[in-house]
Amino acid sequence: MAVPTFLFGKKRTNVAKLLGVGTTATVFALSVIIVVLFQYGSTGFQFTDTASWASSFGLNYVVGIDGISLPLLIIATFLCLLAAVGSRDMISLREPEYYALFLLFETGIIGVFTSLNLILFYVFWEVVLIPMFFFIGMWGGPRRKYASLKFLIFTYAGSAIMLFGFVALYAWTGSTGSPSFDYTTLIQRAASLALPLQVAASLATFVGFAVKLPIFPLHTWLPDAHVEAPAPVSVLLAGLLLKMGGYGLIRYNLLLFPAADELLWPAFTAIGLITMVYGASVAFVAQDLKRMIALTSVNHMGYVLLGTFTLTSVGVSAAVFQMFAHGLAVGMLFLMSGYIHEHAGTRNINELKGLRGKMPTTTVLLVLGSMAAMAVPGFANFISEYQVIQGALSVAYLYGLAILAPALTVGYFLLMLRRVVMTPPVGTKNELGTGPLLILTAFLVPLLVFGVYPSPLLGSAIKPTVDHALSVLFPGGN
Amino acid sequence: MAVFGLLVTPAGLIRRGKSPIGIGAYAGLAGIVISLASTIWLGFNGAPPITFGGFQVDLFTYFFTGVILLVSLFVAISSFDFMKGDPNTAPYFGLLLLSTLGMIVLAASMDLILLYVGWELMSVPTYALTAIRKRDPNSNEAAMKFFVLSALSSALIVYAISLTFGVTGSTNLQTIAGSLATITPDSRSFALIAIVLFVAGFGVKMAVVPFHMWIPDAFEGAPTTVSALLASGAKMAAFAAAFRVFIVGLSTINVDWYSTFAIVAIATMTLGNVAALMQKSFTRLLAYSSIAQAGYVLIALATPFTITRDPLGLAGGLFHVLNYSIVKTGAFVAAAAVATRLPVNTLDSFTGLGRRMPQTAFNITIFFLALAGVPPLNGFFSKVMIFTGAVYSPFSWGGYLAVAALINSGFSMSYYGWIIKRMYFDDAADSSKLSEPIAYTSVMWIATALVFIIGIYPDPWIRLVRSVASSL
Repeated sequence: MAVPTFLFGKKRTNVAKLLGVGTTATVFALSVIIVVLFQYGSTGFQFTDTASWASSFGLNYVVGIDGISLPLLIIATFLCLLAAVGSRDMISLREPEYYALFLLFETGIIGVFTSLNLILFYVFWEVVLIPMFFFIGMWGGPRRKYASLKFLIFTYAGSAIMLFGFVALYAWTGSTGSPSFDYTTLIQRAASLALPLQVAASLATFVGFAVKLPIFPLHTWLPDAHVEAPAPVSVLLAGLLLKMGGYGLIRYNLLLFPAADELLWPAFTAIGLITMVYGASVAFVAQDLKRMIALTSVNHMGYVLLGTFTLTSVGVSAAVFQMFAHGLAVGMLFLMSGYIHEHAGTRNINELKGLRGKMPTTTVLLVLGSMAAMAVPGFANFISEYQVIQGALSVAYLYGLAILAPALTVGYFLLMLRRVVMTPPVGTKNELGTGPLLILTAFLVPLLVFGVYPSPLLGSAIKPTVDHALSVLFPGGN
Repeated sequence: MAVFGLLVTPAGLIRRGKSPIGIGAYAGLAGIVISLASTIWLGFNGAPPITFGGFQVDLFTYFFTGVILLVSLFVAISSFDFMKGDPNTAPYFGLLLLSTLGMIVLAASMDLILLYVGWELMSVPTYALTAIRKRDPNSNEAAMKFFVLSALSSALIVYAISLTFGVTGSTNLQTIAGSLATITPDSRSFALIAIVLFVAGFGVKMAVVPFHMWIPDAFEGAPTTVSALLASGAKMAAFAAAFRVFIVGLSTINVDWYSTFAIVAIATMTLGNVAALMQKSFTRLLAYSSIAQAGYVLIALATPFTITRDPLGLAGGLFHVLNYSIVKTGAFVAAAAVATRLPVNTLDSFTGLGRRMPQTAFNITIFFLALAGVPPLNGFFSKVMIFTGAVYSPFSWGGYLAVAALINSGFSMSYYGWIIKRMYFDDAADSSKLSEPIAYTSVMWIATALVFIIGIYPDPWIRLVRSVASSL
């Protein structure tokens, strides 16, 4: 029943765009089936599938979905579909390789969100990395070579340190029963580890996830990679790759090491807060529309870190929901920046003055997308950001500071909109076709639906799982 | 019988190998294929361990023989193109087989004297092979440098053997292990000197810091196919000898040679990776990367057993020997393929190679990713096993060793990625397409296929190396 199994059988090397789009569409359809069949309210893993792979070394193919991975799985397949459709207009070079790598990437990302074996997780984790390196390096912008290598080295070094955490967990928990990489086994054993060992493993995995998320001092690969990557790839980068970090933080860092959580949460939340404010401040001075959107990701992923380590049910659920909402909003903005670049010839915010003249409908969509990213009530982002701050406040009043971040976010988005939209229209009309406009609108639908009525996802999928996991983790309550 | 089947096949062919040109090459190739097939057949049929004088033919021997023959097969196939038109074809293949035989003897010997014979049988032909291009001063210089250091290492080993004999009265490793367990304090210091000398002697061939100096020069100067033999075959045979001597012979002595290997391993990995980053020549880069990889295998020697006496680290080390040999030979053959058209002593030749020699570039990419340890390629699983073995070891420094190794592993991606970037993202000044000789590409594709086969379904291989490790 597991989704990745469907993918393994798919052909990767077909020339046609059709196959790329067709496969992603099929996978999306399958994920919709899973969404329908998912038993809401139950807390365990569902749709599990197990197969022996290299059992002589604790490596088994174990996949499953719970309330935390479900929303991420949906946006993964959804964004892959939209990005694949969007690629048809924007990628015209070495297409067979592009779509082959694209499907490899999708395999990896779905694997990351579903695997329940640490080594399997790591395998998928790296499977995502290599296609991304080639995406940026081969189809990227003028500084693609620098950006791709920087991306590769940063994330690979991060994952090497993360791997240490996994390996150490295997060895250290081996003294109580046979050593295992199995997630469900480890979740029972890791809690009884001595505090120094928990802290060591927690910090090692934190570094790996933090590079991906990214957090403040480790984020420098992100603006370069996002700006240089072709627009559909930026969608994948911001929409999905960053979510891998957030997902890892919740799934492994938070849920495996309760004692370390209680010791380290002030540090982690502080980093989250700094990341939020830092990302927003830097976005103010960005001149390139795409760079600005990239930096909003740094800003918004800070919420995920903050929410996760409030160790409250509200905060953690909101962190998951924030990943869902942010993936859609930023995905839309990135794809749009690609279209704007193609049609208006520039991405410089100052030169985009009077965009209304050239692309009136797109301008409307730009305003709507920005509203989503600004977390205007009515969009899903509002609910998640509001709840993250609510969760943070319930832990300490000091986190009232977090309210600064949305204020700054609104500030730089309005600044951008004032320059791009609120200026007299210039130029002759050069509007997007119906197809691209429909793709962009498709992002808005779930944002608005879940913004007005979030409970199917937040209330019945994410929350019960998180509640249950936290009650297991901290039996005494927190 | 198995011994004869194994050893005489290549040996018998050597005589024919010296006969007129052409036949020798094919005869040599046939010899390797036959012995490889017989090794695999015997290994998989679970032939019982045979002791034959100083020879000990067990699963460990089969494993290393298989690895060595595989390397030598790759080298032989790619040499077909390399030696085309060279008058010394027959001696070349003869020497190749002789050296291979020496490596096999090394892997099979349970006696120090026999071990030394194997060591020399392996080394002496490689001197000549390194200098096979008589008119090329680089080749000669490399051979000279290699010869001096290698002779020194042989001398050290002889001295270590004689000391061990003096202390224990035996050259058989199992007897040595028995007498070292009850060693008197007076003779203990001699045993210590012997250990140090063994480390240094094997260290030269294993290319560990600080005995690595000859490697980059020799690999750069020697014909590239010979470098492949040196980097994979000779090095792995030296590791086989070290595994035997240390794990079987010297494990009973109550001396902490484990931490010695740990320190050497960290130095080797770090130096190899840092130096590789600074290289301007592709073969030198490969040489330093092979030094770094030797460091990973050394971790297996430092932490062979877990707390529960499970030889996880050792199995990981053996697995890495197999993976490394395949990948590294492939990489050197790829370098040889590039060398047929472009100079390999500069990295500029690799700019835009993705378009100029697509097959070679693709294979180099796979080899590099495997060397860096990207899953699901073969290098990943052996590395993870080694690192897990280190963390899981009874030593308190095991965790730090694993951290050092992982940081190195992460760091190594910077130069591998850099070359991949050059090949695919940079545009060459001259982007004309170059032909790729079939002898090389076939080897590369076989190696790549093995990289994927082992990487995607590692289970049988992990089981194999685990039983090999337990059989030691």
